[in-house]
Amino acid sequence: MKSRIEIGVLYSRSGSYQLVANACHAGAMRAISDVNADPASGIELVAIERDPGGNIDRYAPLCDEILRQSSARHVVGAVTSWSRKEVIPVLEKSGAALWYACPYEGFEANEHVVYMHACPNQHLVPLLAHVVPRFGANGFLLGSNYIWGWETNRVARDLIADAGGKVLGERYLPIGETDVSRLIEEIKATKPSFILNNLIGTSSYAFFAAYADLARDDPHFGPERCPILSCNLTEAELPAIGAAGNGHLSVGPYFRDAATATDETPASSFEASAYASVMVLAKVLAQNPDAGFAELSTAFAGTSFATPFGSITVDPQTQHATLPVEIGRISELGFERVSHIERVAPDPYLSRYDRARTFGRARLKVVS
Amino acid sequence: MSRAAHIPNLGGARAFVLHRPHATVGAISRQLQAIGLEVVDCWPELPAEALAADFVFFDVDLGFDQQFPWPRGAAPMPTIALIGSEAPGRIEWALAHKADAQLLKPVGNAGVYSALLIARQSFAARRQLADEITALQQRVAERQTIVRAVTALSGQDGVDDERAYAQLRALAMNWQVSLEDAARRVVALTEKEAGLDQSHRA
Repeated sequence: MKSRIEIGVLYSRSGSYQLVANACHAGAMRAISDVNADPASGIELVAIERDPGGNIDRYAPLCDEILRQSSARHVVGAVTSWSRKEVIPVLEKSGAALWYACPYEGFEANEHVVYMHACPNQHLVPLLAHVVPRFGANGFLLGSNYIWGWETNRVARDLIADAGGKVLGERYLPIGETDVSRLIEEIKATKPSFILNNLIGTSSYAFFAAYADLARDDPHFGPERCPILSCNLTEAELPAIGAAGNGHLSVGPYFRDAATATDETPASSFEASAYASVMVLAKVLAQNPDAGFAELSTAFAGTSFATPFGSITVDPQTQHATLPVEIGRISELGFERVSHIERVAPDPYLSRYDRARTFGRARLKVVS
Repeated sequence: MSRAAHIPNLGGARAFVLHRPHATVGAISRQLQAIGLEVVDCWPELPAEALAADFVFFDVDLGFDQQFPWPRGAAPMPTIALIGSEAPGRIEWALAHKADAQLLKPVGNAGVYSALLIARQSFAARRQLADEITALQQRVAERQTIVRAVTALSGQDGVDDERAYAQLRALAMNWQVSLEDAARRVVALTEKEAGLDQSHRA
């Protein structure tokens, strides 16, 4: 007889970043059904779903509702850092845990959160270390106007300075804004070596489209000379970008390998990470069905977990996953693998960041 | 001005937590270790090796001067006060120790990172200010020496005060020392040669 355990699922199935949220949702739901179908698992997971519909003010009340109206002590959910930060006080009050399956800007290690996607030493740092020697060190920084863009670009400013480059511009758009003409004008005028794109959802799609138009007028802005770099772009959003994405770069713990993919293979790292979150949670709950946030750190110590990222560990101290780091180049509706690093331990506070090691020497000047 | 290191490399830094064994110590240690610091907890005294610490967190509720291997307010590193009771006497005591940041108890899941950054910056600013004040005080104290040097130089034939001062400045530049140091040398030379014929001076 399997013990029945309720878990919360909190994703916005509509709104400007619904493609990402739906990818996460698909991964979580598939993992739940895989756990339930596995006769060896010993537990049956029941999803208690709520949909904030992309409205930031709905996250905290709906998370609270899950925790009050069901026996769930774990919630898989939240896409934006803003929404994660909205639900944290609810988790602290109720003694619950959030399983967070998206890349984020780092500088957080809350014991009520398990960080299952990349933090900056697993996305931005390796991405710029790869790009600077090949394209140059002068960047133009874009972001949606909230914490992900602000903080990721702040780290990028420091990295660019360490690499001997200049930040030629830094611009923010409100979430959902699709008028990117001014950004394009500024990029055209400043001719950077790369563009770091921390726009999300529809703003990001609009930017890719406008930048492809710019590249048609001026070959400097082709992806082979001045690529758009993203730390959160996956297959989930490529259909919305289309051919405008071709040749540009993204980093993540996983890109779908079309050559070896089966029906079971996650379509994106969001799906893979949400799937991994439920799988790790299921293993913890199978050991101890009553495990709450306070038991997680002990449960992670010395244990590895089978996930779509391979066998991974979760650092008991920071509750961040050790993950592979891949850089991919967009090719039609998928990514070609450009580089792959196995098992990068999380360093959410960049406490072990080393300028010389990241950029080869103390101050690298790239002559392009 | 050189660019400040923005990515705060706190990895491997050592923090001492001076607090009786309590859940507060656990909460602080957890956050510090997650950030990448080494943590040493101690009570009731800070050991001598705390002098080499990068940060010291100290309890205000039960703290007293003899716990520290330095005089009140003279900590050689950034310190963070752990305040539980907000009794005015205790806050006064924490102020006397010139804590660079504070953390209210009970300590939850956050707060340590911002306390570290605030403490580090305000400690650096405080130390820079203190160094500047010391340097200025030294210069003020040397005013009399400058007057004596100018008097000594203007004692020579046809040299008025203004020219003597200009001469002193030129000497300081030649010797590549501060005006005050140059004045001190001139005064010393003058005193040494006080018994000799002034006209033989170079």
